[in-house]
Amino acid sequence: MGMMEKMDELATAAPREYLTFRLDQEEYGIDILKVQEIRGYEPPTRVANAPEFIKGVINLRGTIVPIVDMRLKFNCAKAEYSAFTVVIVLNLRNRIVGIVVDSVSDVMELPADSLKAAPDIESAIDSDAVIGLGALADRMLILLDIEKLMSATDMGLVSAAD
Amino acid sequence: MTEAQHESGGTGGDIDLSQFYQIFFEEAGENLDLMEQMLLNLNLETADDEELNGIFRCAHSVKGGAATFGFADVAELTHKMESLLDRLRRHEIQPNSAMVDVLLESADASRSLLARHQAGGEGEAMATGDLVRRISELALGGGGATAAAPKAVAPVAPPEPVAVKPALQPAASGEKAARSLEIRVGPIEHPEQADAIQELFRDIPGLGTVTVVATEEKGVRIFAVETVSSDDELLDLFAFHVAKEHIAIKAAGGGKASEAEDAHYGFFEGAAGAPEVATSYADDPPPGAPLAPLPGFGFFEGSPGAPAAASAAMTGAEAGGASKSPANASHPTGGAQPEAATIRVAINKVDQLINLVGELVITQAMLAQNSRALDPAVYQQLLTGLADLDRNTRDLQESVMSIRMIPMSIVFNRFPRMLRDLASKLGKKVDFVTQGEATELDKGLVEKITDPLTHLVRNSCDHGVEMPEQRIAAGKPETGTITLSASHQGGSIVIEVRDDGRGLSREKILSKARERGMDVSDQMSDSEVWGLIFAPGFSTAEVVTDVSGRGVGMDVVKKNIAALNGTVEIESSLGKGMRVSVRLPLTLAIMDGMSVGVGEEVYILPLSSVVESFQVKPEAVSTVAQGAQLVKVRDEYMPVIELEKVFQVPRFDFEKSCDIMVVVEADGSRVALLVDELLGQQQVVVKNLESNYRKVPNVSGATILGDGKVALILDTGALVRRSRH
Repeated sequence: MGMMEKMDELATAAPREYLTFRLDQEEYGIDILKVQEIRGYEPPTRVANAPEFIKGVINLRGTIVPIVDMRLKFNCAKAEYSAFTVVIVLNLRNRIVGIVVDSVSDVMELPADSLKAAPDIESAIDSDAVIGLGALADRMLILLDIEKLMSATDMGLVSAAD
Repeated sequence: MTEAQHESGGTGGDIDLSQFYQIFFEEAGENLDLMEQMLLNLNLETADDEELNGIFRCAHSVKGGAATFGFADVAELTHKMESLLDRLRRHEIQPNSAMVDVLLESADASRSLLARHQAGGEGEAMATGDLVRRISELALGGGGATAAAPKAVAPVAPPEPVAVKPALQPAASGEKAARSLEIRVGPIEHPEQADAIQELFRDIPGLGTVTVVATEEKGVRIFAVETVSSDDELLDLFAFHVAKEHIAIKAAGGGKASEAEDAHYGFFEGAAGAPEVATSYADDPPPGAPLAPLPGFGFFEGSPGAPAAASAAMTGAEAGGASKSPANASHPTGGAQPEAATIRVAINKVDQLINLVGELVITQAMLAQNSRALDPAVYQQLLTGLADLDRNTRDLQESVMSIRMIPMSIVFNRFPRMLRDLASKLGKKVDFVTQGEATELDKGLVEKITDPLTHLVRNSCDHGVEMPEQRIAAGKPETGTITLSASHQGGSIVIEVRDDGRGLSREKILSKARERGMDVSDQMSDSEVWGLIFAPGFSTAEVVTDVSGRGVGMDVVKKNIAALNGTVEIESSLGKGMRVSVRLPLTLAIMDGMSVGVGEEVYILPLSSVVESFQVKPEAVSTVAQGAQLVKVRDEYMPVIELEKVFQVPRFDFEKSCDIMVVVEADGSRVALLVDELLGQQQVVVKNLESNYRKVPNVSGATILGDGKVALILDTGALVRRSRH
């Protein structure tokens, strides 16, 4: 989408609440309604022949849930697994997925007019998945359409036939 | 009368019958199915009373229920069928195949009319006038002008001018002089229903006149009627509102009672000659009589004598609620009355139960694991208790799993009718044989396997079995045979469709494949050649019929079966016949697994696929053509699959190495899997990996181990197939 269309879309979007998290030095926000829970990180069971950023699957109260490391997917400099590493469990239209992030901050409500369109730049993130940029004091928040991002085929979570 | 009017007129009062609609639709469906089955099995030359009575009873049940709920179109059609069947069972006419055909078609029409009602009555109802006319013609012995399609509502009984049994009341034949009758209805719980009878006289021109006669008796209505119609016809009309058993017709002035007619329906066998016939089900003759009280329609009475069958139906209605399909209904076989005690249960309740049992198994496994470290001497009682728990859980799980299993006969039952119609349409003669109908299959699988099987059977009939002349010319019996069989083999269910037709032609398939530009060679093995027919759009049929030949079917069959994690194989012999084998894993949510260790990871093998395991020395493994590895097991060489390589298991500890082989058998062949160690055997709950992730090759699911970690369950079939090329 071009810049102009994105700006129009942003202007009409209702204010939503975003859960902010940090990947290395970057801050991202995702729609809070898609978040099911936040957990600590536990080593998942590896699944063979999966892309590097899919760490494996875990048992979440009886359901098998894949774990995607966003730091690896977004080519961050480092991806450590410590006691502070967090997994955000998402419920995307009844598909449960967990994403590994460095830390989680607050839930922010951002009115639509404070959002700016993101310029089309070369990055590891598909520009369709970026809703816009939010400005909070001196921080820049990259707002993601997490559902689009996780459903993209290069995520490897959905097979091409889905 | 319109449907709406019926629906309110029929209830006449407090009962809201709509809560019973679902039960009626299900039971009517079963009765129609049973009737169809019996009609197909009917031996036209030596039809016995039991068979004919059974078919009659089915039509009668459906008619009664349809009338109660105000589905006049169904009631009318089934009434016609019932009249024909009645003549048949009293041997007034001989059964012939035209009758069977028209009855089968009428059963179909009834089904579709009922389906329309079930869906809310939208859309056009099928016209049944033609069927009704044909039934009437046949009832008269074929030929001869018949009455035009009867008026919208009034099901006038087919005129029986000559062959009337002497037992019939004299007034019911020939001349129809106006008669004065006294009609007594009751005692019934809702006498208001009888009032609707007056509407009948008002709405049907020429029926007669009716006046109410006052009566002191509770629950009873008495009418004085002037009419030209026969008692039979009147009873049929009134049946829309009140059951016949509650109606007594006598000539006005206390003349001879007319219940002799009702001998048709056998309800009064034990009461012949009794003056007042206000009976309820309670007074029915004992079950030895041809028409024992029909279960399921005991709504008419609240009378204390209502048979147990009626009250069972009521509790069924309360317990089952609005269930879509019975997980547990017993399907009556042959002509027997459906006697087995069953309860209709909604499927989601059963699924919930299975889930909970699954969780219980996991918890029990966890307890067992954690208790392994305990000192047996100190914790003896605890350990004994846990051992008991293990046994109980296992038993519970088996019982619960078996709830969802239903016999294959459910699937097989639709084929006789389908083949009969298909064979006659194509002009072929086909016998249909089934084996292993009692083999049980998970209900979820049954629904999905029906379409592919239907296609395979149609193929056999259309392309496999030759025309009778060709068969005779080939020295085969004129009638071909299609056999459908089901059996358990290992952890799978194998369903075969066999025919003794012309078989597959290797040359034709190869040339067709070349025509389509497929890469084939003459060196291909037979089974590879047969496998070509699964390609989309592939067909060697010269003539495309509307049954098959367009080449759309086989690839869909293969896809559907693959979606169930099953496989399809074909064997064929030119001129002799063909066999298609469908192999499906029994989808058990809980299965026995053997856990093996590879590196730091744990994998689970389905125990049913495991044949044996042994320790192996590196020298015993030989290579072939620098790639595949083989190991000799006694006198058999089998391929080796290194799980470490297949799953790219990272190896940290180079001291440990794979030196245990586990031989698994799947898909008809054996393969040896190379692992580090055998960890144990346990029950595992199969969790679906694909619901949140996607299909992983060589993996059929995942499970949660006692320590809460996830282990992948290997798809031994896929591993075996992988080793084949």
